[in-house]
Amino acid sequence: MTATDRGGADLPALAADGLRREYDDLLALAPLDLEVGPGELVALVGSNGAGKTTLLTLAAGLVEPSHGTIRICGALAGSLEARARTSYIPDTPVFYQDLSLNEHLEYIARLHVAEDWRDRAPDLLEPLGLQQWGDKLPDQFSRGMRQKASIALGFIRPFSLLLADEPFDGLDPPSRTVLVEMLQAATADGAAVIVSTHRTEVADFSSRCLALHDGQLVYDGPPDRSIIAGHLPPQDDGLLAADVPESG
Amino acid sequence: MIADASGWGANQASSLQALRDLRSARRRHYAAQVDWIEAGYRLYLGVIFGGWALALISGALADVRVDSHALAQIHQRGAAALGLLVAVAVAAGLRSGGRGGPLVLEAPDVQHVLLAPVDRGAALRGLAVRRLRTAGFLGVVLGLVAGIFAFRRLPGRPAEWLLCGALFGAAVAVSALSSALIASGRRFHRAAIWVLAALIIGWSAADWFGERVTSPASMLGALALWPLHRANASFVLPAAGLVVVTGAAVLGLTGLAGTSLEAARRRAGLAAQLRFAVTTQDLRAIILLRRQLASEIPRRRPWLRLAPPDGPQRRPWLRLAPPDGPQRRPWLRLAPPNGPRNAIWRRDWQSFLRWPLVRVLRVGALGALAGLSLLAVWRGTTPLVLVAAFALMVAAFDAVEPIGQEVDHPTLLALLPVGAGQVVRQHLRAPTTVMAGVGLIAAVAAIVAGAPAGLIGVIVVMTVPTALLSLSCAALSVTNDPFAYVLAPELGYFQTGLPVALVVIGVGGPVLLARQAARHGASPVGAAVACELAVFAVSLAVMAWLGSRVAARVPVRS
Repeated sequence: MTATDRGGADLPALAADGLRREYDDLLALAPLDLEVGPGELVALVGSNGAGKTTLLTLAAGLVEPSHGTIRICGALAGSLEARARTSYIPDTPVFYQDLSLNEHLEYIARLHVAEDWRDRAPDLLEPLGLQQWGDKLPDQFSRGMRQKASIALGFIRPFSLLLADEPFDGLDPPSRTVLVEMLQAATADGAAVIVSTHRTEVADFSSRCLALHDGQLVYDGPPDRSIIAGHLPPQDDGLLAADVPESG
Repeated sequence: MIADASGWGANQASSLQALRDLRSARRRHYAAQVDWIEAGYRLYLGVIFGGWALALISGALADVRVDSHALAQIHQRGAAALGLLVAVAVAAGLRSGGRGGPLVLEAPDVQHVLLAPVDRGAALRGLAVRRLRTAGFLGVVLGLVAGIFAFRRLPGRPAEWLLCGALFGAAVAVSALSSALIASGRRFHRAAIWVLAALIIGWSAADWFGERVTSPASMLGALALWPLHRANASFVLPAAGLVVVTGAAVLGLTGLAGTSLEAARRRAGLAAQLRFAVTTQDLRAIILLRRQLASEIPRRRPWLRLAPPDGPQRRPWLRLAPPDGPQRRPWLRLAPPNGPRNAIWRRDWQSFLRWPLVRVLRVGALGALAGLSLLAVWRGTTPLVLVAAFALMVAAFDAVEPIGQEVDHPTLLALLPVGAGQVVRQHLRAPTTVMAGVGLIAAVAAIVAGAPAGLIGVIVVMTVPTALLSLSCAALSVTNDPFAYVLAPELGYFQTGLPVALVVIGVGGPVLLARQAARHGASPVGAAVACELAVFAVSLAVMAWLGSRVAARVPVRS
């Protein structure tokens, strides 16, 4: 769990320069200049369609910018070096149908040459309540368990930047607490974390908050809900006002 | 926790070994789940039915050999004509590559493998080689079938025709797939793809007009016809064509690392749905998903905008009043029709006017293919009846899109103040006009290719009844309930196969009867008219069945 080499640590974990993304004539992300340093825990907030997922997928290298650049620890997003440093937890968990959770963990760890995965896997699964489910296929998992398994896959490998898209969705309160602890441990270890969310608790424990609206960055500063609310349009008033009851 | 990306070059071998281990583990899992007795039974059935089909095709080919005039034409332009076919396949491949094809990955592969620090080219190479292998094999099979056609009608040794047919089939398939891999991996711009495709097709067209072999595509055509030219031509040109195809495959395989993840992710999601739709024989879902895979979406701006309906006071198209003044009621007042019928007619044309260019071209090309196939049938190659019927059926699937949309939204249909069956039947009017146009294209293609007057008359007689039959059968197919016969799959196969069989009979019957009539000195058009009356009756029956079937499925009844 300890840092082995901080190569590139003096560089920002994420640096966007004039980053813009369009889908045909729809502007998903307006030109954005942004830097996120190592050890920062950033809450990315905004209503549906604000551009949160677009920003995260651009950083992960899944989507390419229409204009501008985005670099991870100095390497262009999507390059081999950037992929080695970036862990992405998607909003919809993605699993092979024919591999158990343990086999997923082994595979992803080995792809990232994480030799200590056998020791680390129980430490990940146990707090998430998945220790009994390691040999089960993902088809047998509930929505919340799939989300927890996806989080475990994101943490089994080393990273300098963790991108988590709505990771709290579908989690029960104890699991949400565990996830907060995991995110804080990652930042304490020197990694940068960006979490897109609608949930208030993320704003409470994050060190910085970014608010997007219609693809524009409308706020970048401390996670003070009242200040953030002042930067969001009236229709987004309820975004950080109250916790959303968990349905699943 | 912190990633070390400083030495990823050295870590590649380890990551790739993990990838290989995973794939072998997944193969083991898959093998453990296979019911080998069931698989053996399916293979047995495949061999039996495949052999039966081959024997049937061979028997059906007891047709006349080509005459000396046709043989001279093939000598002069055959290679270039086949080259044009290859060029179109390559252009289609380029277009597919421009939209992220041809590889279809699993979503977890995109998320876990392509986002891992693994050489993407190495990770995708195995999949690409498998695709090339499968395409090549299918090409060989089709080439062998074409070889059987060829040696029954053309001079030359059967073994040579079969060998060259197989090589040609494999080369066409591999060149189309390789061009897709090149365009996808090297991220060709859409405009560049259109220009390149136009150049490739243009070069082959120039070869056809000039009666020469200069383009690589024509060289592959020369390969297919080598048994004809063997005595007075070397194998240099065909071999050069094969070298170009091999080079294209290598170029495609070495550029895989550039594959767009965005396209791969989109295709992964669609392909998973497509596999399920194929399993359940859900033709409607297959058509929609295939269109999305090919990025074939309706135009945002229609080709033409229809004028808005003005309501009941609209000016008539034609107004014939008595001579003593316009204040008297006219004898005849022809105004555009109003009410639900007109609404459906307009809605359907609004749909057609948003067809993307590729769909317009495809439907036109299918019409031409049907016409040329019917000409070949007329001249003696009977099995091409299947190609003509298939072409018309595929065109009809595009034309019945408004019905498909209606069936996709049963609640909207149920809330209309008109019977659902009536709505669906009304929806056949505009598509019939479109399919009549397709029939016209078929007739023009046949005329250009030198069809005799008898065949032109037959095609003209066939146009409207065949349009109705193919449309109603296509509509029947897209309104099939894929889960109706889950417990009785034989009935499911019947449900899927019946519309296709009806179109094959409806297209083939009149042409074959007319051909027989012509061979015996009778009027081919007269024979076709008699046949088309039956086709028309069957079409009406299918339309009635279609209307009652859709009406029975409407969830809310007034």
